[in-house]
Amino acid sequence: MSPRSSRIRNIFEPLDKSLIAKLWQDRFGIPEQAFSGCKFFRKARSIWVISDVDLPRLSYETIGMRIMSCKDRPWKPTTSALQVFGRYAAKNLIHLNREEAMIFLEGSSQGIESDCEPGYVVVFYRGDVLGCGLYSHGKLISQIPKERRMASTVESETCPD
Amino acid sequence: MDYLDRYREIVPDYDAFQAIQCLPLYNSARINTLKIKRENLLERLEEGGVLFQSFPWYPLGLKLDIESPGKLLENLLGYIHIQEELSMVPPLVLDPQPGESVLDLCASPGSKTTEISQMMENRGLVIANEPSLARVSPLRSNCERLGAINVAITRYDGRNFPRGLFDRVLVDAPCSSEGRERRGPGVLSRCSTERSLDLQVLQIGLLKNALRLTKPGGVVVYSTCTYAPEENELVVQEALGEAEEFRLEKVCIPGLLECPGITEWNGKRLNDDLSCTARYYPHINDTGGFYVAKIIKN
Ligand SMILES: C[S@@+](CC[C@H](N)C(=O)[O-])C[C@H]1O[C@@H](n2cnc3c(N)ncnc32)[C@H](O)[C@@H]1O
Repeated sequence: MSPRSSRIRNIFEPLDKSLIAKLWQDRFGIPEQAFSGCKFFRKARSIWVISDVDLPRLSYETIGMRIMSCKDRPWKPTTSALQVFGRYAAKNLIHLNREEAMIFLEGSSQGIESDCEPGYVVVFYRGDVLGCGLYSHGKLISQIPKERRMASTVESETCPD
Repeated sequence: MDYLDRYREIVPDYDAFQAIQCLPLYNSARINTLKIKRENLLERLEEGGVLFQSFPWYPLGLKLDIESPGKLLENLLGYIHIQEELSMVPPLVLDPQPGESVLDLCASPGSKTTEISQMMENRGLVIANEPSLARVSPLRSNCERLGAINVAITRYDGRNFPRGLFDRVLVDAPCSSEGRERRGPGVLSRCSTERSLDLQVLQIGLLKNALRLTKPGGVVVYSTCTYAPEENELVVQEALGEAEEFRLEKVCIPGLLECPGITEWNGKRLNDDLSCTARYYPHINDTGGFYVAKIIKN
């Protein structure tokens, strides 16, 4: 059962860890051990991860960190989650040089040669995970959320395309 | 700034205290050990040519000699968090341990929540409570940027936070913020005794509920960034009441000079134990201003 196929409810519901771990394993080669000490919840079409604790009976706004969205296909990892778990990735990752990293951090798209499968990728610069990118047809589209972007360094100069 | 004159009797070296108010505060940040080791972060800053200095009293605190530290890649990636020096004190006094259950009753924007989370090494549970909807999003985005995964956010009025039995509770209360004058000049012009007395009612309600929500043997820390005794010692005295159940423990951070909480105000005697609480003044450590009390529930 994919997390998407289940009914949509607007409350936090516990989710089986192996289900989520398998998705991350399949796409990024991240081993299940990366999530040891964690548990998962679903609310509407988002999946959340939190330390493995008993939660008191309260009305929650968030539970841990939102790690992925299953709103569209394929599911999409959040930049925050990749910054925590992405360093265990073994595939579908892209290493950028300095100039490319800056473009990515500004939230822009650019042409990149890579043998990644099309879809969401973990983007690295030196040892750092910068966040989530969408790769397709030689193009890397930054998925960095607005508030986490680097303010554009070159002002009026917009990239062609 | 004449408003500060009401503290002439309680602040040592009052003239220096008054004079420093117009000196802006340096930028500072906390190293986020959830994402990076201290030595690796320092190396990066050196490589990037950023001038910094560690706090003498806290190795994870840094003074940054740079205009917009928020723009550093290290900040965007959540390796550091821009935070005022004294704001790092209350979590250290709270002293949360990995695996514990902790409530941060007035949490946004989460500087202390995330410091607590890192002290707990992302284990156990931190409930970050913030009633204001508009203030939940900065709280949430700081937790996410800093990689805190042991935090759950709730939105209760802290006076009515319903249940739980926590090892530790932090009440970093809404206050008149007199201690922030060096950061945002003009703060003092909005202060008045009436305002402090209004806030006092809220603060007492918050602290009383925090005491109720704490396990026997647990710890409550009450803090503000203000000088007004109405919002500090008087709140602690009123919330503790006559109960034998609670005791104050001395607040002392080695390397940072505190002044003892006051035991007399406007001719009225207060509980002697209040001298265990700590007042931090800007001219003594070259910081902002803060008040911190540590309460143990027997
Ligand atoms: C001094 S700030 C907290 C700063 C925060 N602890 C930090 O370190 O980033 C006080 C917070 O209390 C919140 N607050 C106001 N009324 C409250 C109430 N009744 N219960 C709980 N929190 C309240 C305010 O919205 C504000 O975000």
